[in-house]
Amino acid sequence: MMAEEARTLTIEITRFDPDRDEVPKTQEYEIQVQDDWKVLDAINYIKDEVDPSLSHRWSCRMAVCGSCGMMLNGEPKLTCKTALSDYDSKLKIEPLANFPIVRDLVVDMDGFMEKFRKVKPWIVRAKERAEDMENLSEKGTFSQSPAQLASFKQFSMCINCLLCYAACPVIANEPEFIGPAAIALGHRYNLDTRDEGDGQRNAIFRGEGTVFSCSFANECSEVCPKNVDPAAAVNQAKLGAVVDWAKGLILPRGGA
Amino acid sequence: MKSLLLKLEPIIWLLFGAGLSIGTMLLTGFVLIVGLAMPMGLVDAGALDYTRAYSLGSSLLGRLVLLGLIALPLWKGAHHLRSLSIDFRGGDRDGIVGGLLYAVAVCSVIGIVAVIRL
Ligand code: FES
Repeated sequence: MMAEEARTLTIEITRFDPDRDEVPKTQEYEIQVQDDWKVLDAINYIKDEVDPSLSHRWSCRMAVCGSCGMMLNGEPKLTCKTALSDYDSKLKIEPLANFPIVRDLVVDMDGFMEKFRKVKPWIVRAKERAEDMENLSEKGTFSQSPAQLASFKQFSMCINCLLCYAACPVIANEPEFIGPAAIALGHRYNLDTRDEGDGQRNAIFRGEGTVFSCSFANECSEVCPKNVDPAAAVNQAKLGAVVDWAKGLILPRGGA
Repeated sequence: MKSLLLKLEPIIWLLFGAGLSIGTMLLTGFVLIVGLAMPMGLVDAGALDYTRAYSLGSSLLGRLVLLGLIALPLWKGAHHLRSLSIDFRGGDRDGIVGGLLYAVAVCSVIGIVAVIRL
């Protein structure tokens, strides 16, 4: 184990109590921190030793559950994955941008989850077929080759940590935009060989507040802790939606 | 205007994509040849002297290529500026700004067609 080096760090944290405060305010904590701490360790230390009234979310401490995302000096990050040693003089911790605050560092993710529904993030079959059931008994489940799996696997690695949504400049201006995570998820199902719902999703993608609202700032992919690369998904989804649209011009009923 | 733009979005984006590929690949290649390879003597400087360049650029095919080389990156520029405007909190004025920018691009293209007499 590393020698435990302690130093003093001033951390500025957003505080908001919906019962008492009209608007969020900030509070400064000066604490002794260890060099090998993650940012989450410092927040937990404040909560446990200094100010039990502080509210924040976390669970796994290993960048898996996606619940500890916050703005660190203005950048959305997983606090359990970010070393405290990256911040030598001042650290400002705020709740994720583009979300309503529930309390202190806790945000309301209902609107974000609601947008997922729009892209039908499940396997859509054109019709429930007898043949599906036959396949099931003959070949086991739907077979999918490793290459077919690889074509969408990356886009299925999302942990819903909300960082991309907090980083997106389009959502900041246009709250109806469904955002990078939802589009990446819809695109993941469009690429899935078991799915037949791409026509429906492409029609949704051509509507208001989805793929074409994206200005390709690429911020989502910059902040994604799982290298999902949602910006790539959004831009592939644009191409898919356009190809589908062009097919609809040539063949009646979209050819699909 | 906004709903018209939304309806045209597939075309807008296709032209933008074409402009993007041309802008980033063909024009970069052009700059590499004219700006680096020719001064360094890797390409014969006579390859693009005035008469050759003129005859290349005035054939029908040459003029079509010129049109594409100029018009598509112009469209791409208009689209980039529109995105920039949205990113700078211009969501509400997007219909007007976008419409104007694309109109400028289209007018410029009409101008180019007139100049190179297609
Ligand atoms: S605590 Fe689970 S991702 Fe950070």
